[in-house]
Amino acid sequence: MFRIRFHGRGGQGMKTASRILGTAFFNAGYEVQDAPRYGAERRGAPIFAYVRADRETINERGIIDRPDLVCVADDTLVGMPAAGVVQGMDAHTVLLINSHETAETWQKRLNTEARILILTATEDVEDRAELPYIGSRCAAAAAALTNVIERETLVAALTEELGHLPADIIAQNREIALRVFDEMAQHAGLVAPGSMPSANDYDSPDWIEMPFENAAISNLAIHAGATSVMVRTGLWRTMRPVINYPKCSGCAWICSTYCPDGAINVRADGFPEIDYDHCKGCLVCVAQCPPHAIESIAEHVAREQEAEASA
Amino acid sequence: MTRKLLTGNSAAAWGARLAGVDYIPAFPITPQTEIIEDLAGWIDRGEMDARMVTLESEHSMITAAGSAASSGVRAFTATSSQGLLYGMEMVYTVAGWRTPFVMVNVSRGLASPITLESDHNDIMAARDSGFLQIHCATCQEIADAILIAYRLAEHPDVRMPAIVNLDGFYLSFTREPVDLAKTSEASAFVGEYDPENLQFKGNSPLSQAMAVLGGGPYSYFRYEAHLAVQKALSVYDEIIDEFEDRFGRRYDMIDSYQMEDAEYVIVMLGSFSTKARDAVDSLRAAGWKAGLLRPRLFRPFPRQQIRQLLLGRRAVAVIDQNISMGMGGVLHSEFATALYGANDAPLLASYIGGLGGRDISQQEFFAIADELRQADERGEAPSPRLLYTEHELTEMRKLQAIAQAEHAEINQN
Amino acid sequence: MSKQSPLHFHRMKDMPSTHLLGTGTPTCAGCGGLETLHTMYDILGDKTVFVNAAGCMTLLSVYPFTPFRGGWLYTSMASAPAGAQGVRDALDILLQKKKLSADENVEVVVITGDGTAYGMGMSATSGAMDRNLDFIYLCYDNEGYGNTGQQYSPATPHAARTSTSRGSHGYPGYKKDLFAIWAAHNPAYVATVIAAEPLDLAKKIEKIQAMSGPRMLISLAPCPTGWDYDPQLSVEIGRLAVQTGVWPLKEYSDGEVRHTKVPKQRKPVEEYLQLQGRFRHLFEPKRDAAGIAEIQSRINAYWDRVDAG
Repeated sequence: MFRIRFHGRGGQGMKTASRILGTAFFNAGYEVQDAPRYGAERRGAPIFAYVRADRETINERGIIDRPDLVCVADDTLVGMPAAGVVQGMDAHTVLLINSHETAETWQKRLNTEARILILTATEDVEDRAELPYIGSRCAAAAAALTNVIERETLVAALTEELGHLPADIIAQNREIALRVFDEMAQHAGLVAPGSMPSANDYDSPDWIEMPFENAAISNLAIHAGATSVMVRTGLWRTMRPVINYPKCSGCAWICSTYCPDGAINVRADGFPEIDYDHCKGCLVCVAQCPPHAIESIAEHVAREQEAEASA
Repeated sequence: MTRKLLTGNSAAAWGARLAGVDYIPAFPITPQTEIIEDLAGWIDRGEMDARMVTLESEHSMITAAGSAASSGVRAFTATSSQGLLYGMEMVYTVAGWRTPFVMVNVSRGLASPITLESDHNDIMAARDSGFLQIHCATCQEIADAILIAYRLAEHPDVRMPAIVNLDGFYLSFTREPVDLAKTSEASAFVGEYDPENLQFKGNSPLSQAMAVLGGGPYSYFRYEAHLAVQKALSVYDEIIDEFEDRFGRRYDMIDSYQMEDAEYVIVMLGSFSTKARDAVDSLRAAGWKAGLLRPRLFRPFPRQQIRQLLLGRRAVAVIDQNISMGMGGVLHSEFATALYGANDAPLLASYIGGLGGRDISQQEFFAIADELRQADERGEAPSPRLLYTEHELTEMRKLQAIAQAEHAEINQN
Repeated sequence: MSKQSPLHFHRMKDMPSTHLLGTGTPTCAGCGGLETLHTMYDILGDKTVFVNAAGCMTLLSVYPFTPFRGGWLYTSMASAPAGAQGVRDALDILLQKKKLSADENVEVVVITGDGTAYGMGMSATSGAMDRNLDFIYLCYDNEGYGNTGQQYSPATPHAARTSTSRGSHGYPGYKKDLFAIWAAHNPAYVATVIAAEPLDLAKKIEKIQAMSGPRMLISLAPCPTGWDYDPQLSVEIGRLAVQTGVWPLKEYSDGEVRHTKVPKQRKPVEEYLQLQGRFRHLFEPKRDAAGIAEIQSRINAYWDRVDAG
């Protein structure tokens, strides 16, 4: 059975990728399961989708824990534990990352047994939340790597899944997907179907007896205030608001009040300060700042600049 | 103690009054309404220091009972049948809050068809909610069970809401002599409600009843609630010992009658079981070794105690006053589960009886005993049976003849 | 609980500079509902219990994370006001029995979306007002069942596209007048608010702190996800809702309705509509002049009635 996971951010089209690939497998005569996985997360938050495909009836269900292929649309997610990109990867797994960086760089960075391929990032978009064609590109790459899906089958699946879009957009997706498919052809077959766990040789689940705990402990209650600050919603951000202090007129009550999340604090000197651990990047502050002293820059660029500055 | 004639509903109201409840969210429904009328009268006359609020539905009523208990007061409420079902979302929800309060359910058959008469399908719908369930057979038991239910529900190892169940009409509107404890004695037994660390107040952050992400935390909270309900078994035994010391009445979690040497046993819930008690006496007089077993505590389910009481008997008839469509009697299934796998398990027969308040006659109990004996001789349990007579069907046919006028005419021709 | 009232909020500068509601909640970036809630929380403070109904804000608190520094209780979609009833009554009983000090008393605040306020929860809300419950109710109205993907609700405006009104003319119904329904109960206070007008919002919250009884707030909550616009436009769209007269800011008490911020010269409603994807079909592929005119005429008729007194 093929087990393939797509990782991206809410809004980047990972569900679409899984559906294109699922349909392609299906049209190629496979039994298929494809599904997106949602949590409480919203646009910009890490999400994933997955596809299973087999010649036999698929009985396995739920999240894929031993992937044959992990395809990552947004490389800022790779190092983010909450995104779970590396979960369950082993030497059998192929990790395909949409990135400007090289496979060697990622291999060193991740120190993983998985084989790493790069889906060369072509986009120059600023806001990674809107990576164009990424769903189609990921699906095409995955299709090529399995070496069981023909070009025509991919095109048909893509056309079927994107049917609600205008014809010119579909055509662009098709062209870009085929380019990726051909580019990946050199690695065709690298992703191979994984095996089922064996009942003869397996790791026992470490079950425990659930200890009894009375309601003072086991009640569904939180006895502390504002623990939500431990949730770093700043990881959702694809665009970063940056205060240009020389231009800032210090009317902090404006940006601080309008920030829906309360992620702009007022410093002792009266100037505002953005809490990047929690700023989701909505950019309301950029739109509302009276002297236009808050600018927006792409998050990945901001991080690169930070990395350079600290190096 | 004073002994007086009380209806089951009045006994329930007295139970709440003696338990010193602070707060009563209410909503009327037959055959429960007298309970809240009695309580309202006492509050209006200044005889009871509690606050009663009539909500606009049982759904809201159960929410308010739960949220008040979660805010640190002792709450009481009551409902029946359709009302229990209307509030069912909140029955499950407030149990998950681990919020201890007592709700009386006056059992009444569910629509459709509509009836006001008693059966147990309403309370069975709450079976898996996390509410503890104590089932009563007499008016005396009702008043006492409410005091016991507060102790059980509020115990720090339990902390779950409890339902005290009584049958509509057969108990709710039926007067029986009831010994009422003195207020001071009842207070001494029930004690003060201690919400521990689960109470809203200024200067102390507390968020309750939120979502979880993932099956791991969900399983933890659900299973801990299950363990807490199970814990109520051992806590119950402590409580009833103390209750007996104080008030002289003993309420074992299973009421067993003539069980010492019984070979043939009838199992029932609720007030109809007192009729079976008479039947056991008659059967004994006729030379049968008959017995009766009635769980008072239905949740938690006293599985071990049931096994101890029933293994080695010859045959058991479970009479269910409820029906799970497509399956049969709920109590029968639970007893089959409890006895499964034991070498000396008795034959287990299933009877559905008393639906919608339909009476069960002594002769029917005798016939059931006879079927048990025949089954024992055959070594095979009889098929499930609905207690329903030819006469009843004849009467039903008359009703149908009227209802289906055209059909009746054809028959006459 | 403080029930005193020298008014503090005269200028934007008076808005709170520290924020009480914890960050890290899973609401969408640019959420207009959260914007109202955080301003409200800054003013009300942590001596509060928020009683929450099912909706987007259900997920404010996901174990073990809560943004609240005081109390919070999740109930169900239909019965949050009944939950508030139980909490308020319990607090009053405990105060009366001196088991709770005045300093430990808290204000009870119901928070629900429009799906609850305009629909499933209306009976419980009506009941709470009947009983003159001493509580605050905040409805964050994003004009659809947002948490399930923006299906139309009884609060959805005419012509809006939702995931259950995808047709060429959008939602055929008209937004229900919840303000009038609530006001018809004659509660202590009813107001419409919006986070994009923080001063108006702050003044109203400050005012109701000094009052008791049912205090009902409906906040239009611009919703980038459900209304389909760039999140940075949340405040702009909210302000346009007021400036075009789509969302009249008003309050009711003692039998009278007062408008608290009347747009001097109302902007054409299309300025509001055209920023939102849910109304795009009114402009593309071809302008639906009649549809826009109908929406405009309903707004004009409303304000004509206001002007006529």
